Amino acid sequence: MIRFIIGRILWTIPVLLLVILMTFLMMRHIQGNPFRHSERAVSPEIQANLERKFNLDKPWYEQYFLYVKGVATFDLGPSLVLRNQSVNDIVREHFPKSLELGFLAMLFAVVFGIPLGVIAALRPNTVFDYGAMLFSNVGFAVPSFLIATLLIYFFALKWGDIFGLPTSGWTGWQSKILPVIALGLGPMAYFARLVRGTMLETLQQDYVRTAKAKGLSGRRVLMVHVLKNSLIPAVTAAGPLLGFLITGSFIIEFIFAIPGIGKYYITAVSARDYSVVMGLTVLLSVIVIVANMIVDILYGVLDPRTREVRT
Amino acid sequence: MVVSPQDQRMRSPDPAHSGDIQVAGAGTPIRQSSLWRDAKRRYVRNKGAVVAGAIFLIILAYCIIVPIVSPYDPDEVNFQDRFLPASLAHPFGTDAFGRDLFTRVALGGRISIMIGFAATFVILVIGLTYGSISGFVGGWLDNAMMRFLDALYGLPYLPFAIITLAIIGGTPTKWTMVLALSIASWFTAARIVRGQIITLKQNDYVRAATAVGARWYRVLARHLVPNTLGVLIIAIFLELPGVILGEAFLSFIGLGINPPAASWGSMAQEGRDVYRTHPSLILIPSLMIATLVLCANFIADGLRDALDPRTKET
Repeated sequence: MIRFIIGRILWTIPVLLLVILMTFLMMRHIQGNPFRHSERAVSPEIQANLERKFNLDKPWYEQYFLYVKGVATFDLGPSLVLRNQSVNDIVREHFPKSLELGFLAMLFAVVFGIPLGVIAALRPNTVFDYGAMLFSNVGFAVPSFLIATLLIYFFALKWGDIFGLPTSGWTGWQSKILPVIALGLGPMAYFARLVRGTMLETLQQDYVRTAKAKGLSGRRVLMVHVLKNSLIPAVTAAGPLLGFLITGSFIIEFIFAIPGIGKYYITAVSARDYSVVMGLTVLLSVIVIVANMIVDILYGVLDPRTREVRT
Repeated sequence: MVVSPQDQRMRSPDPAHSGDIQVAGAGTPIRQSSLWRDAKRRYVRNKGAVVAGAIFLIILAYCIIVPIVSPYDPDEVNFQDRFLPASLAHPFGTDAFGRDLFTRVALGGRISIMIGFAATFVILVIGLTYGSISGFVGGWLDNAMMRFLDALYGLPYLPFAIITLAIIGGTPTKWTMVLALSIASWFTAARIVRGQIITLKQNDYVRAATAVGARWYRVLARHLVPNTLGVLIIAIFLELPGVILGEAFLSFIGLGINPPAASWGSMAQEGRDVYRTHPSLILIPSLMIATLVLCANFIADGLRDALDPRTKET
């Protein structure tokens, strides 16, 4: 078990290096240069000085090495565009909001999605089941920008007097309700469908029949035998879902004007602020990779059969 | 796969291939079409998939035909007619520039669907190449390639599409969108193909082909790759929703298609400016996206029942 966990943790190191390398090489090929603004001519000497300051004059492998060293010491370097701001400052300022948004959305998805799936599976082919599945299909297909816009339209504007929710921002708890629902609805639909599927399968298992046959109460069979085993795939799904939340949060932050990382990312790309884009991409990749690692380890703990197969 | 082994052996020296894939060609066409006929029968049994397929075709037909027969110029600005409500003359009303929305949505659909299918095609080509090399060669190369793929799974999708767009530079066109969307999402297709190839490699007819002296490229090209066709067709409709939504997201945050050209995503973005007063402008393109994605999901479900009954979902 310990060997499995250590192996899995060590494996993330080459993965991280590779992902940083890919991001790094991609960023080097982006057209344009933050120091070559057409409206503000910069003399060649200043240009050279600036490039030296940001290590842009060194060969690429040296830049890469310096960058990896920076990442390892949690230093993502200075911003190329905003003077006196480092990427770390930007992360510190914007990231907590994105993190909170993502976390709350995930919580929303788990708290509402799993019971929905359970209800659907316990009453298959009834109104509950069809309703839950219709809801989950639609929830997964409707683009989040429509959900967000509709939520704002109804709960902040049309019935604004009743609910009193603001249309944008990220300040009080009232302002967080709509973005969290808008972002969490997709993952919630996903959880519901997943849990329903695995639960229907688990209910067919022999050990469930045995448990019922030996006279355990329905509640106990459900909690101990069915639910526990049905939730394992939901744990595995949490990793990819995190990627979904990050992708989704770009749109949600954009619509609700939340000063999070997704909104800043778009600004940084158009400003060609390499080091910020690079830093944020690396940060997001690290999150996804670490989340996948945790999911794999959890999966190994919950389902020992998977331990030998991987790593 | 209902064709019995004896049947196949009698008709053709290349049982797997002719039985599974070739519809026309040598042998008796009636027997050999049975795979597809079975598939059709299984597909039709799935009512949701049938309805979804029909709606999908209707949307396609709408996008193709309406701009041709429409009396309105989709780009002509006419401020007298702006924000007209839905009527017989304008079934969806008009937009902020007085353009007929019924025609514009069809044109936007052309671009969205075109980008969707083109990117899916690129995804499948990359996935097929990568997956079949990995699965066919096996051993350490397979291991290395799969580990590399694991690493790529760490890349967040939208940021990488955005970076790719920035690398290509200039204003995004249909083709740069296709490239950006497919570069960020071919991993799953590669995995599916690899899995299929590895399963197929265990089959007797593959071993038989090797035993009678078929070269590796012949085994690969004649026996393995054609037999991935089933999963590839399913994969089209599995990948399509993600790509269409991805395009819509990029266009919605202003990094996609630029006006006057429009996709459903960029139309939704334009509609968002006036959603308080004229909600239909964001609703209609968004609901088109949602309908298409929903249909693609159901079609993928039906196709899985039809073409890959062994991996049937519960």
